[in-house]
This record gives sequence, structure tokens and C-alpha cells, in this order.
Amino acid sequence: MSKLLTIIRREYVQRVRSRFFVLATVLGPLAMLAFTVVPALIFKINAGGPVRIAIVDETGHMYERVQAALLRNPDAEEDAGEAAEQAATPAANAGRDPGARAPQSSGRSPEVSYTLEQVAPAGRAPAEVQRALNERVRRNELDAYVILPRDILATGKAEYYARNLGDVVTVRQFKSRLSEAVSEQRLIDRGINVQFVHDSTRELSLATRKAGAAGAAASDGGGSFGLAFGIGFFIYITVLLYGQVILGAVVEEKATRLTEMLFSSVDTFTLMMGKLLGVSLVALTQFLIWAGAFLLVTLYGAGALAGSNVHLPHVAPAVVVYAVLFFVLGYFLYATIYLLLGAMVTTTQEGGQLSMPVVFMLAASLWLAVPVIRSPNSSFARLVSLIPFSAPITMMARIVAERPPLWEIALSLLIGFATVALLIWLTARVYRIGMLMYGKRASIPEMLRWIRQE
Amino acid sequence: MSQSDATLVLDSVSKSFDEFVAVADLSLQARRGRIFGLLGPNGAGKTTTLRMIVGITAPDTGRVEVFGQKLTPVLRDRIGYLPEERGLYRKMKINEQLRFFGELKGMSGRDAEREMDRWLERMKLSDWKLKKTDELSKGMQQKVQFIAAVLHDPELLILDEPFSGLDPVSVETLKAAVLDLQAAGKTIILSTHIMAQAEQLCADICLLNRARKVLGGSLREVKRSYGRNAVALRVEGAGDILNDATLVASLKQHSDETEALLAEGADAQELLRRLVQAGARISKFEQVEPSLNDIFIEKVGGS
Repeated sequence: MSKLLTIIRREYVQRVRSRFFVLATVLGPLAMLAFTVVPALIFKINAGGPVRIAIVDETGHMYERVQAALLRNPDAEEDAGEAAEQAATPAANAGRDPGARAPQSSGRSPEVSYTLEQVAPAGRAPAEVQRALNERVRRNELDAYVILPRDILATGKAEYYARNLGDVVTVRQFKSRLSEAVSEQRLIDRGINVQFVHDSTRELSLATRKAGAAGAAASDGGGSFGLAFGIGFFIYITVLLYGQVILGAVVEEKATRLTEMLFSSVDTFTLMMGKLLGVSLVALTQFLIWAGAFLLVTLYGAGALAGSNVHLPHVAPAVVVYAVLFFVLGYFLYATIYLLLGAMVTTTQEGGQLSMPVVFMLAASLWLAVPVIRSPNSSFARLVSLIPFSAPITMMARIVAERPPLWEIALSLLIGFATVALLIWLTARVYRIGMLMYGKRASIPEMLRWIRQE
Repeated sequence: MSQSDATLVLDSVSKSFDEFVAVADLSLQARRGRIFGLLGPNGAGKTTTLRMIVGITAPDTGRVEVFGQKLTPVLRDRIGYLPEERGLYRKMKINEQLRFFGELKGMSGRDAEREMDRWLERMKLSDWKLKKTDELSKGMQQKVQFIAAVLHDPELLILDEPFSGLDPVSVETLKAAVLDLQAAGKTIILSTHIMAQAEQLCADICLLNRARKVLGGSLREVKRSYGRNAVALRVEGAGDILNDATLVASLKQHSDETEALLAEGADAQELLRRLVQAGARISKFEQVEPSLNDIFIEKVGGS
């Protein structure tokens, strides 16, 4: 027992003190931030400023309506009444000074702002007007121009010419705003109250609550979906990160020819478990540091991170317990496989190649969580949540989506931990021989022979 | 010798890896307080034998006993092992490694610290105590590894090629340490393919070749049984006497002397008498024991 502690302590102390650990602990959350927040921020950047569009209104009466639709405050869209009011008001001067309104349009999605300009055909031939506009676009005085044909209300067709058609966001938004303007005009032409149409077609709000859960407290709007994926993703990341560390720890001893010294002092099982537990404690330490930092940030700096939009779903205590259990199961299941791989290979590179199927299995169970969460009680969901390699993620998804009967959860845990025990037993058999074999990777038949051997 | 006197007993031990026979039907005994030399060319099965003694691999058949019983985890703590494949944690400080290895042998941290200071001093490595393995030379690393093997004061010490790759000064330091341990009553198993070292250190030997024991016993017995009739000569004017096939079987010329292997049934005294009669000037005439090297080459070289 004390030898096991000695090995765990060495593994732990050496790793926690290493520069790699310090770097990973500091950079880990930053990397997470970089991968989640930064893309969203970048997406929001509207590098080009307002889009300058000239509108050739061949109908002679659509311009105001289109202008109103394009400059409409997107936040106000929720409030249909206000929107309609604005649409009805001919904002004559808005086109001259759109900049004043543009800052308002920095909402959740990348809102496009416009600088509009009306071009009257003034008796010129359409081709001539177009040539003049093309020239202005070429000289970078305009970004785009649009032609509203005389029969736009009947055909529902318009033409959009731009320097850059790759800016799909702008094109898509422009199209939907123009459609709004056209349909409003159609309604008005028929003498229908636009306000009334807006009010009557307003989308209803659907409150999603978990059936059977105690009352209204269990409000759950996609949060459980996020939670299930969160846990699954957490298992995935942890295994990827620390599986590699375990592999490296085993290969290191092989590469530095330490194995013989160690095997002459302790038995295989102690050595193996010491490594596994030592590295696991390192992982635990890292997570605790991260959790502590996260708590501090949420307590003192939530506003700065604009976290107000993030609503953590309400989580039942039982779910937390299950999450821990299945996390531990998933971690040790895959960690043991990495341990086994480490004993089989001679370099970490080789280990990396061999671990590809393992990573695939893990990723596959993350994908499997999607159908499982959609129909958590299907026989498919039942099956994959009992298979030990996908159980940690898929059973967690079921628990969060629709709590399965207790016996199923217990069975899944039982099969899972039995598999871990079996894997540890197998690994112990392979470990000693594998570790003493230098210079050559073990083949599968060789391994099978080692397992059979006494 | 009595059984109780034997720290280590191997009884008809065999070990094969797939088709390859590493050790075949090997029996030997190592007595307490003596140095036992396990000799043989590379690939003879020395390392496999040592691995079976420390319990890294199990024999296919046969029996290995240390301290009169089968190896147990408790007994393992009384054995020290310096493997041929040297290894230390590269990024770990020397004092931490030694403490780690000491604790793996059941020492307390405090005892390990005390003993390591003593040994580092003796090996002239005290200044390197807080350095990492990577900063040490190969020879220094080997001495550190030796300390790791003896730190817990084992009663049975197993050294696999302990002197290979060391400079002459370090070899002497290590030899002195080994002899001190022997004087303190430890049993030492030493594997080597350098016969001169074995001859200096070992009281008993076992010569392995191609997985089999070809020779064994105390060094003296072995030499006596190999009592070839050889004479070291420094002589002038010997005439044809040395070429007389009834007297001398073969001649070997060394730098300043000649080694004459006498013919079957010939007597050294007869040779001396004939040389004196012939009026040769004799400055050296010495009956020589065969060196272990000679025995080794004769036993192994021809096969």
C-alpha cells in the first residue's frame, strides 16, 4: 500500500510541478475562451461599416417603404406594433442620415446597417442609369444598387447588383427586409391594416417545461440538451487530454529503461494503478483549479464577461451525482485503454496512431447522444446506453432528457465498471511483458498470448 | 555447502521466449558473504537468469529460491538490483529519485535521505544531489543507479554488468564498494563478460554459453580442474628443446616471455632439467594456472 502511495506521489508531484502543467492550467481556459467566445465576437465584427446602397425605384412609390424596412431597428421587431408604426411613417430624412441609427443595430446577430440613396430614373433609359451606377460602384462610391421594377408587387422580383456577392449575410438580410417591404405594400394596396396583420401573425411563445417534474420550477428550455452535451464534451476533452498524458507516462518509463528497476521493487498491478491514479489526481487538481477560477470569475466578474445572457440550467442534485459517476466511469474506461496502449507501443507517436480508434469511439458516442436525446426511451437509446464505451455520454444524455428507470442506470454503471475491472485485469497481464519489450511494438496475436500466459 | 548457507538457489531453471531458449536447465547456488560471478558471452542468458532471480520474469520450469524460500514481495525488499538496462527519470532530481527508489524498497524517507548522503559522498557525487539526471554524465548516472540498488542495504545484491562504460577511476571506486559490501556479509551476484574483473572479485563462478551452464564452482576448483600444464618462460638459447613435441604441445609468444603448453604426460621438471642441461639462460620459469580468460575462450570460443 505504501508503495502504491509512493508511486502515486511521485507521479503527482513531478507532474504538477512541471512547466507543462502550469501552462496547461493557465492556457486551458484561455483556449476554451478562444474557441467559444472569439468566433462569436469575430462573427459580430462588421468590418465594412454601413453598406452603401442605391435604390432605383421604378415604381415611384416603394422607396420610403423599403427604406423604413431596411432601417428598422431589429430589436423593435419583437414589438410588432412599433415596427408597423415605423413602417407606416414615411421617414423622409432617414435616408440622408442613417449613421445615427446604425449603432442601435448591434444586437445578437451581425446586423447590417445601410446608407441609402434614392436614384430617380428621371427619364433616362434604364441601361444608362445602370451604367452610371456601375461606374459609381467601380469607383467605390457605392457598395451595391438595387433595381425595383415597376411590376415588383406582381412578380415579386428585384435585381441586386453588388461589388461583393460573397457577403452572404448582407444579401440575405437585404432580401428578407425587401420582402417585408413588398408584402406590407401589397397589404396596404388591398386596404388591409398592417398593424393588424403584424399583431395576428406574431409568433407565440412556447414555454417548455419538463412533465412530471415538481411544478413550474423545472422550466427547461434546451438547457438539458446543453447540459447533456456539456457533460459528454467534458468527458471527451478530459480523456483526450489526460489519455495522452497517461500514454506518455507509460512510454517514458519504457524509453528511459526504468521498467526493470521498478519491476524489481513493486508488482505490476501496484505500478500500473499508481500511474493511473497519480495522473488522475493531476487531472482532478487541474479541474479544481479551473472550477475555482470559474467561480471567482462568475462571482466577481460576470458582468465583464457579458455572462448575463448565459443561463445555467437548473440541475437536480441526482443529476449531479449521476454526472460524477458517469464521468468517473468514462474517464477510467478510456484511461485504462490508454494505459494498455502505452504498454504496447515504444514511442508516443506510435501510441498516437493506435489511439485513433479510441478517439473515434469517443467521438462517436458524442454523436450518438443526438438521436438518444431526441428519443431517450427508444430501444436504440437503451442499447447504446448499456454498451460501456458509449454509456457514459449516452446514458447521461438519457438521464438529463428523460430519466430512465433506476435499474437501467444501475445496470449501465454495473456493466461499465465491470468492463473497467476487466480492462485493468487485461492490462495488468499485458503490462509487465509489454513494458519489458523494447524496440518493437506488440502485435495483437502477441498480446492475446500474453493474456493467456500465466 | 549446507542449504542454509545458500542465499540463492536455482534448481533446474529453464526459460524460453517462443522458440528461443534463453536459459536451459540451470542449477546454481550462491553462498552468503561471497561474490558469485555469472559469466558468459553476450546473449548467453545471464540477464534472463538475473531477471528470474529478482522476479521480473518467471521461469517456465524449475525453482528459484532466495533466503530459503520462494520470492515474495517482502523478500524483494531485501534484494538490490542494478539492471543492465540503466534507467533514471530524466527530469527528476537525483535526491528525489534515490528517495523514490528507496521508498519503493520499503525505506522511510528519512532513512533514504541519510543513506543517500552517505553513498553520494562515497561516490563523490554530493555536489550533484540536486541536479537532474539530464545534467549528469553517463558514468555519473551509472553510479547513481548503483546507489539506487544498494541504498536499502540489501542482503542480496544483483549487479548486471556493473562496470561497463565506466572510466578506470570509477571502476575502482565501484569495485571497492562491492568488496566492502561483501565484507559486510552481503551476497553479491555479478554478471560480466570481462573475465579479468571476475577473476579479481568472484569466489564462485558459473559460466554460461548458449543458455547452458558449461562450468561452475569455486574459482579455485575451476582453475584446478583446468590445471593445464603450462609454463611461463623467459629463456635464451633453448635451442630445439621447446620444439620437442614430446615435451611441448604448443607455444604462445607474449611480449617478453613465452608460454609453453606442455604435451600430454610431460612434466615441467623434465623441461627445466633439459633446458639447464642445454645451457640455456633462464630468467623466468613459472608454472602458470590458466586464467579465467583462457578457460572462457577454450570453453566458449570453440563452440
